[in-house]
Amino acid sequence: MDHLFLMLLHAFLISVFFAFLWKRERQARWRYFWKVFLALGLGAIALGWLMYPFPRS
Amino acid sequence: MAAGVTEAPRAIGHRLPLWGLMALAWLVPGLGHLLLARRLRAAVFAAVIVVGFVTGILLEGELIMPRAGDPLSYLAAIANLGSGVLFFAARAARLGEGVVTAISYEYGNTFLLTAGMMNLLLVLDTHDIAVGKKD
Repeated sequence: MDHLFLMLLHAFLISVFFAFLWKRERQARWRYFWKVFLALGLGAIALGWLMYPFPRS
Repeated sequence: MAAGVTEAPRAIGHRLPLWGLMALAWLVPGLGHLLLARRLRAAVFAAVIVVGFVTGILLEGELIMPRAGDPLSYLAAIANLGSGVLFFAARAARLGEGVVTAISYEYGNTFLLTAGMMNLLLVLDTHDIAVGKKD
């Protein structure tokens, strides 16, 4: 499977889990889900780009 | 209680001893919440943990057991044991032995470890709901 897909699947599962664990109202859950999902997804991509100039030797 | 007002029936989970409820919550992902009548949360948590665990197994991840001289393996074993019955079922079926050379090995481990840790968090959440700290 595609690495990006696996990372997004992982981010999705974690986001759903914590949205239901910590939030009670439907709206709050959606907001929290998107916040965590985007933070994980975009954060990982940003980190990947930041690491780009430092390849493993 | 005022006359004519009936008390809502207590969920099965409230009638169980706390340790028993927490043990069941650990053993079967989502069962703790189900017994406390949190049906939606129980279904979502069970689905998330089962999908995470099965994905980890399919990606050739390893259900890590403690290894002498490798302190981190003890922590990983605790996290993996957190999956409860999924862990024991997979071990019994000789799944989760891990293929270190597989390209998805580390991905699989990540899914397996997070599934176990999420279930351990659910045990704590079940405790908090049962003692009234949380809704």
